[in-house]
Amino acid sequence: MTNPVKNMQRAIADYKQMNAKDQKRYLTDMVLNNALYILMAIFVIYTAIKQPNFLTLGSFANLITQVAAYLPLALGIAGCIVLTGTDLSAGRVVGLTAAIAGVFMQKADFANKMFQNLPEITLGWILATMLIVVLIGAMIGLVNGFFVAKFSLHPFIVTLSTQLITYGIILWFFALNGNNGQPISGLSREYKDFVGGAMFRLGGVAVPRYVLYAIILTVVMWFIWNKTTFGKNMFAVGSNAEAAKVSGVNVFMTTVLVHTLAGAMYGYAGFIEGVRAGSVAASTGLNAECDAIAACVIGGVSFVGGTGKISGIILGVFVLRIIFVALTMLGVDSSSLYIIKGAIILCACALDMRKYLVKK
Amino acid sequence: MEENRNRSELQEEQLPKFRGLYRNVNISVKSLDRIIGVCIAVILIVVALELRNPGFQITFDSRGGTDVPVQSQMYGELLEEPEIPTREGYIFTGWYTDTSCYEAWDIDTDTVQSDMTLYAGWQKLQ
Repeated sequence: MTNPVKNMQRAIADYKQMNAKDQKRYLTDMVLNNALYILMAIFVIYTAIKQPNFLTLGSFANLITQVAAYLPLALGIAGCIVLTGTDLSAGRVVGLTAAIAGVFMQKADFANKMFQNLPEITLGWILATMLIVVLIGAMIGLVNGFFVAKFSLHPFIVTLSTQLITYGIILWFFALNGNNGQPISGLSREYKDFVGGAMFRLGGVAVPRYVLYAIILTVVMWFIWNKTTFGKNMFAVGSNAEAAKVSGVNVFMTTVLVHTLAGAMYGYAGFIEGVRAGSVAASTGLNAECDAIAACVIGGVSFVGGTGKISGIILGVFVLRIIFVALTMLGVDSSSLYIIKGAIILCACALDMRKYLVKK
Repeated sequence: MEENRNRSELQEEQLPKFRGLYRNVNISVKSLDRIIGVCIAVILIVVALELRNPGFQITFDSRGGTDVPVQSQMYGELLEEPEIPTREGYIFTGWYTDTSCYEAWDIDTDTVQSDMTLYAGWQKLQ
């Protein structure tokens, strides 16, 4: 199983034994099941021909930087999808936590500083801020999880309402202290260095520290998903909540915890978002959940529930980012990117269902 | 006999094929194939249409000053030196990426990353 060359040989041998009709079906299956990867390959090849600087170390550094920024959100939302739910509040939670982190981390001498009496920016205060925003994210997740688990409400309804409520809080927050909705800028140097400081350079492009943080988060999530009872319970509840309940899994706690963990991930994503964008506006994080959900579905975290792998999520984020980096370099307008994103999500869901049906 | 068979077939069809979020979905592989095909076609058509466009649009908001024409540039390129707008009673201080005139745009080094609007900075004459 683990030897790809042998697998390929076996597949070719199988293919030769089929009759013409089966061969044709096999090929169609191959093409359709890998449609998004083929699409990605087409874009990569076309971009590489048109823009020679696409296949350079610098643009690879740019790619992993983007993946590292989008990965935490996808890792969080994936848990909700495994439970056959989803989370629509993710983007707004990122917006709120980014705004709070931004305000805590403004330069002391900045003219538009929102709150004057904040502690000096030291490593301790930066870490405390990170902890605070992660806790705020986790609290919103806890609310989501509680309503989903306690009243068996569909996550669409619960997270839609928290999404709107969170947006209201964001707008309130931006109006505080005479800020009147201005973007939060003037982020301190220490904060920018802590999150986005260059670790090393690839082809002249700096690789920020949050790439390392994303790797650590991925390892932690992999451990939680695969090595803990909580992770196993999550998959059990996702594939069949009734059966899981009968076999002694605490469905309520598992659901609440999955959503809380997801919320903590959004909090972390908000913490790095301000540095990534340079400033935080009320619209920060808008629709971020769409990218994350799309990445999960592409990566095989199925809406059927109870299936999914961390490696799949990473792959999904990479595929989506490669497509968007390539299209951005080709000069595709952001309005068209929305149409493409929509089509990709629909396509990924159709592929997801197709795999399930064919297997059955 | 015949009726029985039909009924069991009917029941089989009515059984949900999926679990989870797809619980109520009833769709054949053939229609899924068509959906996938259409989606890929849409994506390719949108990209093909877009590639006929010259690049990112950079608009200049002169904020009360004289109008400055829009520029189109590809990713990673420098802007052409835009016209300097004029406004009665103010001195032009440069182009900024935000309305609060905090982040300045350096014409000589900053490169285009996306569609954007640059805002004129004005200082009131004493």
